[in-house]
Amino acid sequence: MTLNDSWVPDDIDITVPSVARVYDYLLGGGHNFAADRKLAAQVMAMDPSFQHVARISRAALGRMVQLMAGQGIRQFLDIGSGIPTVNNVHEIAREVVPDCRVAYVDRDPVAVAHSELLLADDPRTMMLRADIRQPEHILDNPDVNRLIDFDQPVGLLFLMMLHWVPDADDPQAIVGQYRDRLVSGSYLAITHVGTDHDTMDKLPEVEDAIRRSGSREHLFKRDADQVRALFGDFDLLEPGIVGCGEWRPNSPGDISDYAAGNQIIYAGVGRKP
Amino acid sequence: MTTPSQGPDFSRQPSEDRRSRSLLTRKWAYLLADVAVVPLQPAELDEQLGALLNTLCDSLLSEPFADRGAEQVGQRLVTVGYVTEAGLRCTLDTLGKGLLGMGYPADRVVQALSALSAGFVAASRESVFAQQEAMQVSLLKAVRDARWRIQSSENRFGEVTEALSSGIMIINMDYTVARANAAVADILGQTTGELIGAPLRDLVHPDSASELRKDLDQLRNGDIQRVQRPLRLVRQDNTVLVIALTARMLRDAENKPAEFVMVIEDSTELMLLQGELNRQALHDVLTGLPNRQFFTTQLETALRRADAKYGITVLHLDLDAFGLVSNGLGRQAGEQLLVHVSRQLSAVLSGERVMIARFEADEFGILVENSAETPEVTALIGAINRELAEPFFVDNHGVALPVSIGVVHRPARDSDANEVLRAADRSLRRAKSGRRGQWGIHHQGTDLAERENHRLAVSMAGAWEDGEITVRYRPVMTLGAEPVMAGVEAVFDWDGRTHEECVALAEDTGLMLQLGESLLRVSGGQAQWWRQRVGFTLPLFLALTHFQAVDADLVSRIIRACKHTRVAAEQLVFGFPASSLTNSDAADNLDTIADMGAHILLDDFGLGPDDLALADTLPISWVRIAHRLVDSRATFLPGLVDSLAATDARVIVDGVATEEQAEFWHKTGASFVTGSLRGPTQDPSDLVNLL
Repeated sequence: MTLNDSWVPDDIDITVPSVARVYDYLLGGGHNFAADRKLAAQVMAMDPSFQHVARISRAALGRMVQLMAGQGIRQFLDIGSGIPTVNNVHEIAREVVPDCRVAYVDRDPVAVAHSELLLADDPRTMMLRADIRQPEHILDNPDVNRLIDFDQPVGLLFLMMLHWVPDADDPQAIVGQYRDRLVSGSYLAITHVGTDHDTMDKLPEVEDAIRRSGSREHLFKRDADQVRALFGDFDLLEPGIVGCGEWRPNSPGDISDYAAGNQIIYAGVGRKP
Repeated sequence: MTTPSQGPDFSRQPSEDRRSRSLLTRKWAYLLADVAVVPLQPAELDEQLGALLNTLCDSLLSEPFADRGAEQVGQRLVTVGYVTEAGLRCTLDTLGKGLLGMGYPADRVVQALSALSAGFVAASRESVFAQQEAMQVSLLKAVRDARWRIQSSENRFGEVTEALSSGIMIINMDYTVARANAAVADILGQTTGELIGAPLRDLVHPDSASELRKDLDQLRNGDIQRVQRPLRLVRQDNTVLVIALTARMLRDAENKPAEFVMVIEDSTELMLLQGELNRQALHDVLTGLPNRQFFTTQLETALRRADAKYGITVLHLDLDAFGLVSNGLGRQAGEQLLVHVSRQLSAVLSGERVMIARFEADEFGILVENSAETPEVTALIGAINRELAEPFFVDNHGVALPVSIGVVHRPARDSDANEVLRAADRSLRRAKSGRRGQWGIHHQGTDLAERENHRLAVSMAGAWEDGEITVRYRPVMTLGAEPVMAGVEAVFDWDGRTHEECVALAEDTGLMLQLGESLLRVSGGQAQWWRQRVGFTLPLFLALTHFQAVDADLVSRIIRACKHTRVAAEQLVFGFPASSLTNSDAADNLDTIADMGAHILLDDFGLGPDDLALADTLPISWVRIAHRLVDSRATFLPGLVDSLAATDARVIVDGVATEEQAEFWHKTGASFVTGSLRGPTQDPSDLVNLL
């Protein structure tokens, strides 16, 4: 069955898997369609630890947001927020800062629609449909500016996001534009598919499966130095760029028994001096 | 081992039991966090799972055993986070071992965990359904949002472009119009609705088409960024318009060609003038009524939009002998009369959804879009007749003009407007042919000669009855050195007036149909008599007028005459004016007559664009070159005659009066002539000597 009839715009073709929905499925969610589950099943058949990777990286998000909120960050900009699933940024942050404000940004129209429905009654959150590669569209968007005061510290999140940006688009320069807009005391969190682990020999197959699925997204993994460079002149918090399971774990579910699950995704948080 | 009927054999110290539960809870939480996504702090998770474990233990102790509590534990477990099959397995594993270790009876533990699993599955199903439902709603919203974005961008396009006086068109990659603003519609004389989807080639003049195509290909290939050129466009009414074109290529996100943007401008004075001319071109200046062209386009629209139940009615109305008023009382009186008629018509039809147009001099078109309240056609016509029968006074002359009306009632929705108009026209001609100039007019002499003519026209019928009009014969001769008679043409004579003059008068008054039949009867009888007297077997030619050619009764008139005179159809040659054969009634008549065995002459040949094609496709034995071409020395004539010869038709040249003419036409290849040189018109008694 194809829904890609004339009334469905190209980018809402649910016969093509979406990274956001595959991620939701790997977490155990039901916010996904058959094509997403098919790709997820292929990936998990290659290595079951990918399911843990999703869970571990989601747990890292929680710790990173808690840390920022604990440092007094009251406004967050989450770029590439995907499908709202368990443990969203505003839910985590509000346990620490109840009146914090969160702007979510994604380019997947279904993820955007879902977020808008969920956030409809919450005036301290918003959803913007935009592409990370056009920073000015996001940073100068009037709605974003109503919610986020760039004269105050901001918690900027690129979680499981930048490895979808090709080198040709110069992610360093893109992230630089966002960093430049932030004031001193702002935080930047990044999780990113890395290369510095020897257990993940299945990654090429995963890339291949994604490519063959017809997905518009392609994986661009980067090494620790490249990920570190994305932080620019920000001061990296301890322990620096590490596997996301190893980034300040504080409870049993934060670390996987599978070593690869802990290491395949790099995590890091930096603070603007 | 206990049995359920005996109840649990369970007697521990409460404090010891609390400690065991707390340990089991912590183990459960620890293991669960490793396989499930749980948005809770470790302490919160401990607390929630502790409450679940207490509920479960309480249900284990209840007597008799109650499923409900354990089921609820399973349901609530689902809400802790994304607890999937791995989370359930971990839960059953941990709690099963733990509870047995705490001394709970095995059968009760099994029962409780079964109920927990059932509750978990039910709640998990519900949760997945709810999430799927949320995704469907999101999907629909995404589609709706996308469509809204398209719509609002179209609206913005609309707002911007509609305000511009320049024409802006978006052209798809298949060279059809995707969008056009109002200025384009004005320039091309079409609505934007008609333009959308129209192929570009329909709008561009053929002379400009190939160059434009070349330019657009270059744009598409990226060889050039912009096209600027003058361009000839064709308006809806087929007039040609020169505009200045600027075209660019729009590319999509992947830099592939997406569409062309064309700006067409005509800001010159000519354009403004054209607008004014267009307005004038659509209305009759005298009466202010729409003209035939405007009427036709409205008819086109009305045909499509008409209420299917009631349809439309088209009336074609002709003022009988209006020319006589105009000529008798002066042009100004005629104009006053036309204005009067237009007002009377508007008044009679004021209750209807109607468009009244002035066609030609004294002809009006009426388009009625019928409704439940519209009167019957006969009532409508009766009302018009009554209204116009009232005398109208011009310069103290009471004038009442009866009208002839042709009606097309409820034509099919997919009819062509022009076809409907032709049908109305035919019906009008038929109505007129049944009449003899009915008019009432008070003369006060101005132009005697004109009036004489009108007098003649009305007196024709009487003149025929009285024998003033007679039938004479002109021979059809071969063109060679020794001319031989090849046939005889029957013609009228009225006190020395030529056949052509008589026919013109009769055609004017609608009398030609009857007179034509009489001509056939008389000449047919003559031919039979000649056959008996001198063995006459040559063809008898009868030239038909336009009205005769299209007359629905032509065939029956001929059959009647043949029966009456006993002349054989094979001896007769009927001349159809070439110009009449674009009419399907005439073409039908021609075919039927040819089937009867009579021969066909393509008359008045050479003046119409399709004449040669007619000669080639219709069953034609003879072709007569029009009288008016007899002195033409056009270089194409020899070729034309050659082409005719190739169709096996014999070629007659009409009106040959001099040797020089005869020589010229002989050289071109024509074989026969009519005209004064070889055979003047003669009485039957004189002609018989030549036979």
